[in-house]
Amino acid sequence: MAGTTGMSGSVRERLRLVVVALDDSVPGIRSLVLADAGGAPLPPFTPGSHVVLEVPAGPPGSARPRPTANAYSLTGENAHPLDYRISVLRAREGGGSAWVHDLAVGDRVTALGPRSGFAPVQRAAKHLLLGAGIGVTPLVSHLRSAVRWGRDAELVHLHRSGAGAHAADLAELAARGARVTTVTDRESFTALLDDLLRTQPFGTHLYCCGPAGFMELVTAAAARSGWPASRVHTESFGVEALDPGAPFQVAVAGRTVEVPAGTSLLEALEDAGLAVPNLCRQGVCGECRVSVTVPEGGRLVHRDLYLDDDEKRAGRCAMACVSRALPTSGAAADLEVHL
Amino acid sequence: MIRLESSSVPTWAIAPEVGTLDQRGRTFSLVVIGDPGSRHLPAARAIAEAWTAQLAARPAGAVVHRELPAEAAVAVLTADLHRALVGHRILLTGTARDCLAVRAAVLAAGAEDDEVVIGVVDATERTVWCVHCAATTVTTAALEGETSCSGCSRRLVVHPHVSRRTGHHLGYMADAEEQPWSWPEPRA
Repeated sequence: MAGTTGMSGSVRERLRLVVVALDDSVPGIRSLVLADAGGAPLPPFTPGSHVVLEVPAGPPGSARPRPTANAYSLTGENAHPLDYRISVLRAREGGGSAWVHDLAVGDRVTALGPRSGFAPVQRAAKHLLLGAGIGVTPLVSHLRSAVRWGRDAELVHLHRSGAGAHAADLAELAARGARVTTVTDRESFTALLDDLLRTQPFGTHLYCCGPAGFMELVTAAAARSGWPASRVHTESFGVEALDPGAPFQVAVAGRTVEVPAGTSLLEALEDAGLAVPNLCRQGVCGECRVSVTVPEGGRLVHRDLYLDDDEKRAGRCAMACVSRALPTSGAAADLEVHL
Repeated sequence: MIRLESSSVPTWAIAPEVGTLDQRGRTFSLVVIGDPGSRHLPAARAIAEAWTAQLAARPAGAVVHRELPAEAAVAVLTADLHRALVGHRILLTGTARDCLAVRAAVLAAGAEDDEVVIGVVDATERTVWCVHCAATTVTTAALEGETSCSGCSRRLVVHPHVSRRTGHHLGYMADAEEQPWSWPEPRA
């Protein structure tokens, strides 16, 4: 039942958290333990879920002039969590990940509650987990849950030598019966991949998380090995640079607003003096969700990581920060936005 | 008006239709479903021939082709899938009623919808499961038509819902809302 009291994982409540432990033992990767600031238990989550961490704006003139938000997979216990564990690769200087790397024990952070977009398929005969680099994080919670419930699972982690995130967690889960393989070069992984994909028992589901190139490698190999789309699950991590797109026109609040190439719908609405609540501005948090109507012959390109496939197909809402409309030939506007 | 896109009834269970073979499959179980002497067998064999022709370039053993009644098909396919690897596809051809029954077993054995291709030669007969007495009735009634329950003789509406687990359509009493009714006696 959908709760209104705030303990349901599906309710995106804002959680006030405090950093209780930090681990910087893997170069470039920081693991954090976050607990409720008041000491309360945290909402449980489905393996593969993430939280969205709110990142405050940097000082004026810095690389982060406005607040943003980043999604991080939860790697710890999911059933009755007393803390949330995340691991963050330090990416662009001045970005959200750099801010996380500057946090200290005792610092307060705010997160939107856990959201599941990469859940294990319960009826799977086996779970094959393929991760690269920091992309192993959602798979750690998959493997943890599989070991806990006695489900057949196998994990292969491709990472640079000496840069293995969660090596200790994976070793512990391997000791409890999970099959874990670590590969430190792409050639070995490629050599292993086809064999792996051609020897899985019928009923296996594949979960893949890593950089875009890694996921393309795995999904192409899976297709080549006869895997149907229903058995292949991917989780994008990080936000790829989106192409600037073509200009389009939106009908909104009784007027027409032009959205040039390289300008987001959100920016165009803001420039037109129309306020849209927003947070991450990169298609992750869902804060700038707007209702839309796609005109006859029009098309919406979602590009966000927030809506699920059904919601995207329905085409009734869009994330103003990343979603665009394709230009139509006949219609007065390429998209109607209802604020 | 039945909105098929939101119904559990596959379009091939309403009118004969042959699914598109997924060439990405590496191995295949192909079953022509039907009792010996069934008048639908020739049409089903023709669909099977068309599929095998499309798979002619496969290595020997990649396609296992059989002709079996529905119950036997369930048994051999369950055994096939127990041994199969991901990359396997199931190709079924026969009447809609037989295909629904065999599909139910294949799904129970772990197959996903996009691993099962169905070629239906006739969709006039369906099975209806009575929600009142749990008997199953074979009927030629259309969706939203009526049939008499083989178990309790109630007039049943053939509801446009097919169980993925059993392959039966859901049937419920046609005039249930008009029946005299009273609060049940409280239990002692």
